[in-house]
Amino acid sequence: MASVSPGLCSENTLSTAQKAKEDGDTESTSSSFSSSDYNYDLEPEWLDDIQKNGELFYLELSEGEEEAALARVAASQCLSTNHVRFSEKEAEVITEQAGTQRRGSRRKGEPALKKLARILGRKRRPSQRKGGKDGSRGKATPSPPASILKTQPGQQQGVAVQQRRRLKEACVYLNPKRLASSPTPLCERGGLLEALLGVVHRPAWTGGQTDRGAVRQDGRLTVHGLIPNSPAIKCGQILIGDVLLAVDDVDVSPENIERVLSCIPGPTQVKLTLETAAPVDSAAPSDSSPAQKMKASPPVSQLVRLLWGEDTAELQMAIGHIPHIVMYLSLKLDSSSLQEEEEILYQYPVSEASSQLKGVRGIFLTLCDMLENVTGGHIISSSLLLGKHLVHVGYWKEHNNLLVVGLPAERVPLLSLQTVVGDVVRTLKVMYGSLNSAFCKPDHAPRLDHFFCLFFQQLIQPWRLREGAPPPLPDVSGSLFLDGLPAVRWLTLPPEIKMEVDTVLSDFESSDFGEMSEDFFGLRRLYVILGSCLFYKSYLIANHLPKEDLLDVCLYCQHFCLLPLASEQRVGQLVIWREVFPQQRASGGPAPGFSQPQGRHFLLIVGLRHFMQCVLLEAGGCASPALGSPGPDCVYVDQVKATLLQLNTLEAAMEERLNVPSAPCLSCADWFLPAATTRDRLDSLASSSPVLSKLAGAIRGSPSGHRGRSLFGEKSRRSSPQRSLSDSGSEGPMDAGSGLPAAPGLSPHSTPDSGRRIGGRRDSLGSDGSGGSGGLFKMPRMKHPNPFYLGTLKKTLTDRETEEMYNTTKLTSGTENTLFHYVLMETVQGIFIAPTHREVAQLSGSIHPQLICNFHHCCLSIRAAFQQSLPARGCRAADRSQRSGWGLGPVKEHGVLFQCKPENWTDQKKPAPTMTYWVIGRMLLEPVPQEFYVCFHDSVPEVPVEMAFRLSFGLGL
Amino acid sequence: MLQDGSTQLLCLTASSGVPLFTRGASKQLPFSVIGSLNGVHMFGGGQGALLSSCETEGGGKVVWKVFHDSVMLIAVSGGGSSGACIGEEESRLQRLLENVWSCMVLVLGQDELVNLRNIERLKRDLRSCFCLIDKLLEEKHQGVLGDLTHCADSLVPPNPTPLQEAVDGFAQAADSEFGCLFVHGRIVVATEKWWRLAPQEVVLLCALVRTLSASGSASCDYPVFLPQGSPTVAHRLLRFQLLPGADVCVLCGPTPSLQKAETELVGRFWSPLIETLRSCLAVGERCLPGSVPLRPDVLALLLINRETRRSVSCVQISSHHPLSDSSLSKSRCWELLKLFYIFSISRYFTQEETLCGSPEESTQSSHTEDFLHGFSHQPQQCYLVTEECKSYGLQTQQHQFFLLVLPSVPTFALRTVATQTLADIISATAF
Repeated sequence: MASVSPGLCSENTLSTAQKAKEDGDTESTSSSFSSSDYNYDLEPEWLDDIQKNGELFYLELSEGEEEAALARVAASQCLSTNHVRFSEKEAEVITEQAGTQRRGSRRKGEPALKKLARILGRKRRPSQRKGGKDGSRGKATPSPPASILKTQPGQQQGVAVQQRRRLKEACVYLNPKRLASSPTPLCERGGLLEALLGVVHRPAWTGGQTDRGAVRQDGRLTVHGLIPNSPAIKCGQILIGDVLLAVDDVDVSPENIERVLSCIPGPTQVKLTLETAAPVDSAAPSDSSPAQKMKASPPVSQLVRLLWGEDTAELQMAIGHIPHIVMYLSLKLDSSSLQEEEEILYQYPVSEASSQLKGVRGIFLTLCDMLENVTGGHIISSSLLLGKHLVHVGYWKEHNNLLVVGLPAERVPLLSLQTVVGDVVRTLKVMYGSLNSAFCKPDHAPRLDHFFCLFFQQLIQPWRLREGAPPPLPDVSGSLFLDGLPAVRWLTLPPEIKMEVDTVLSDFESSDFGEMSEDFFGLRRLYVILGSCLFYKSYLIANHLPKEDLLDVCLYCQHFCLLPLASEQRVGQLVIWREVFPQQRASGGPAPGFSQPQGRHFLLIVGLRHFMQCVLLEAGGCASPALGSPGPDCVYVDQVKATLLQLNTLEAAMEERLNVPSAPCLSCADWFLPAATTRDRLDSLASSSPVLSKLAGAIRGSPSGHRGRSLFGEKSRRSSPQRSLSDSGSEGPMDAGSGLPAAPGLSPHSTPDSGRRIGGRRDSLGSDGSGGSGGLFKMPRMKHPNPFYLGTLKKTLTDRETEEMYNTTKLTSGTENTLFHYVLMETVQGIFIAPTHREVAQLSGSIHPQLICNFHHCCLSIRAAFQQSLPARGCRAADRSQRSGWGLGPVKEHGVLFQCKPENWTDQKKPAPTMTYWVIGRMLLEPVPQEFYVCFHDSVPEVPVEMAFRLSFGLGL
Repeated sequence: MLQDGSTQLLCLTASSGVPLFTRGASKQLPFSVIGSLNGVHMFGGGQGALLSSCETEGGGKVVWKVFHDSVMLIAVSGGGSSGACIGEEESRLQRLLENVWSCMVLVLGQDELVNLRNIERLKRDLRSCFCLIDKLLEEKHQGVLGDLTHCADSLVPPNPTPLQEAVDGFAQAADSEFGCLFVHGRIVVATEKWWRLAPQEVVLLCALVRTLSASGSASCDYPVFLPQGSPTVAHRLLRFQLLPGADVCVLCGPTPSLQKAETELVGRFWSPLIETLRSCLAVGERCLPGSVPLRPDVLALLLINRETRRSVSCVQISSHHPLSDSSLSKSRCWELLKLFYIFSISRYFTQEETLCGSPEESTQSSHTEDFLHGFSHQPQQCYLVTEECKSYGLQTQQHQFFLLVLPSVPTFALRTVATQTLADIISATAF
């Protein structure tokens, strides 16, 4: 902890909490968020989690999410165990009390880390379930009242009737942190039992108030009442009259219950063992719908568990048979050392398949040393055949040490191996400064294990970390391609929202914290805020960081899956603090005369709900130098939180933006295939054809004077081919459907002359084409739905509406929208845009997901071709004379045509229909370096360079 | 250190690591390097980790391969030879190693190579393969892509019928079913049985005939083993020069003698066809008869018939072309065509494998196509726009077609140009 007076802290949290109240939004979940996120306590929740070296990784899911996730885990009877996190001291207390607890394997060298007290070998009853989502989310009304007030007649007689008593187990989610924040003072009488669990127990209950009046038995914790909206009532299984026997298998009595409950340090799920008079199953029959059980899927929390540092063994076991390894080897031989395997400085994982790779490390060392003398370059990769598995091994040499990463070829093709290895090295460098400092400190080992566990899990079985069942077709290349791009996924926002976001961020970055700031007390600043960037649901929406810093930060976020985390589930609170070593700053500034201040840098990431802000701080330089390993500073954390809360008001706007199909409309591949079944055909007809014919009609009816410059005037909305500036007739073929009489031009059989003419002109588009197409995109486009995703709407459409709908910008030419997918990367800013996940999900279909996988796979190849030509570009002049070593030369554009057929084509009489589409990549150097990848239907010849310009200007990048 | 762009071939015995020969690169690698390269592979094999390839910065590449557990071949290519992308150089070297092995079998027979009884004698015997192996290593060799495509380089004559009849008759008279006519080292016509030989054998026989005819002798009698057909029993390859640049050859048994065939048969069958042969020679490097129109902006093309495993390739540089970039030389065009072929094949198109050796070896080498298997849909066509030219490749059920055109051709017209050119060639020659 940096030295900030507690007074400062508390005032600050107060102010933020007030702000939160002002911001209070109308969503039903707001209650949970405001109660879990704020506290009047002096200490923030994450304080206990700060490690000795000042690092912090604190993740707390929002209430609803976490409960749902945990309940799903429990209900699905998943094999993994549940864990309760206890801090060291308290866990010991429990161990004393109940010998049944076993201590989880403690990670050595991390005394300050959360300790895990693992409670293994529980039996769960299959009938167990929770009250359902509405129950946990509902504001005040507990969902099925029947489940709380027992309706069985047997109960009415009270406890004296000794029915067959049964034991039942209930899992509840408890968050002791919320205690501090609850407005009611800690219950005078009920203590933690009431405050935390929501169970009312009156030791001297006299009975009068309820007619079923649970009679008190000495030494038994009978449930006399339930507090509304408490965990106990939400879980729906704790009934009045039940007797609480054990918490997490620790026997409890009125005497020790407070102590046991106080041992729960953080948000977790606990298992309550209760004695009840009625069979549980009959209590709430509506709950046991199979659908709910089907929905249950443990992976929700797999990622979170992994991030919490729990439960890596099971995940790692699942890929134990796939050979993969990371080793850090020393090339220096020290014969005096007696240690075994001393050349291995670090190794992960320890499995059978990886031990085989470890066994041949001599190969890696020899090759690394020798090949440099043979071919004159460092070794990059080698391929090995281990049994049936082909393994690609990537190398990274630093000083006298060698990092070796072995990955299965079916997951990481050779083309992208170098990118993957380069990224992991850069991430390590950002986190630790250099590979040597990362690997050579023995106490880093557990953390590195965790790091590489995440690394391999993401590469080898990414679906285990995501929600839901494994997709039939894992888009491995998709993540390889998108993560490998030196850019971050960007979400374009409407200008007014964008401005607001930027203003809020700038306000924060000005470090003008008013009474909170160090200036106010006449102190030197602790940190200078170098910049920050803001993510919403894994999309970057604002960035005030230089590109290289942004990439560093993004690599870190990517590695720890923070982006998908924020998009899939609402993060209750995420606070990450660590020292980082931004690569650009570490290697010295680009300008020779200017030297970067020799400061230390810290990364602060704060996430609330779907927002996540990453702040890069500098200590030293202008601010006071950092001593030792400072932990997160409350003021800065709270200021970021305040910023995020301020931004929360924009969430609705963001959602709206995400729901609206973005600038270029997309088509679904399935619409272009003659459907296999009639139902499909109807669907596709409904979704595309009527609109299309209407559109075509509208255009046909329009006067033909829409060509030429007027395209970009008022009337441009009606004309289909927003294609070019250079049209004067020669670029007309795409208008075939619209029936424009002119344009004999570039039909497929054009003469070379006309072709050349156009080719020449095309190149000039970059300069003079910009203004016009920029104007084209200023048309309002926000609210219009995708014309090809209309569904039932189309019946009510008037012609006018159809026309308006057509205003939605279309990237492709021709009447039909043939665009399937696109990725545009802006190299200078380090961002890329692509259709949002939601947009892609809307275009459901059987072929389309395949198509996107294929697109990404092809992009890997295209980008590799671009990359390969980059060095050639550099030394072009020198090489041109001597032809050898020139290769294919710099690749500007590369396209591949694919053909797809519907799967399981049953009709034997007719051949399966086919659909062909292009995947094209284009590298632009002027006016700004960009890479553009697009996938569209084959029916219209496109000029990718134009599409790229259209896209980038249309989105105002 | 290896020079940029050169490829060195190392051959050792797999079990004992005795070097048999090294070819390529003017400067031989030091023996310690050769030993280590062999050693790491041997060690890995013992540990169940079979090393297959390695890559270094700047495009350097090492590829290992063991044939029949007896001979180890290692290809080392210095950086930047072709500047090709990662997968491409590897598939080129893999193919080179296969070809070299087949060459050795072709000349020496499989028995001698698999059962290493006398290493010193083998070393001496292997010298007879050197000229053939050097031909394979020689990258500058223009106009022949067969070693890469494993499809026989062909030349389409203007008037094939009399030539076909002559070859059939000539082979029959020589007690053989395998007869073939070469012009400029490319196959013009051949007997039906000749085409039934494994494609790789056909390609190697072409290479052999080229080296033999380059020696300048009018005729020769050369014993050959067929790597697939008869790796242990030798046949006789009789070659006769009909005209400079035009050779005919037959594969036959013990009879007839070279003397007899040369004096009795050659004149009988071929002297009436001298004019036809001259017209074939006139087709020259274009490989396609003049009746096939080619657009002026076509720089080079390669057409492969996937069924008959024949290929036609040509480079047309018209120096007087107003728009042609004079910097694009003929050799560069061949290089680009080759590179584009490897690029497309290693990433998108399938290549029919004809592998020598055991099945486990074939699985080992097929992993270079792993990237190809990652596609969920079938790639049909592809194009590449570079600074020097534009390239277009397409694949149909029967053909693979690769075309290089001038950069001035608009990109969106490439497809039309390619399909049109393909259709023109097929309709004119029925290739």
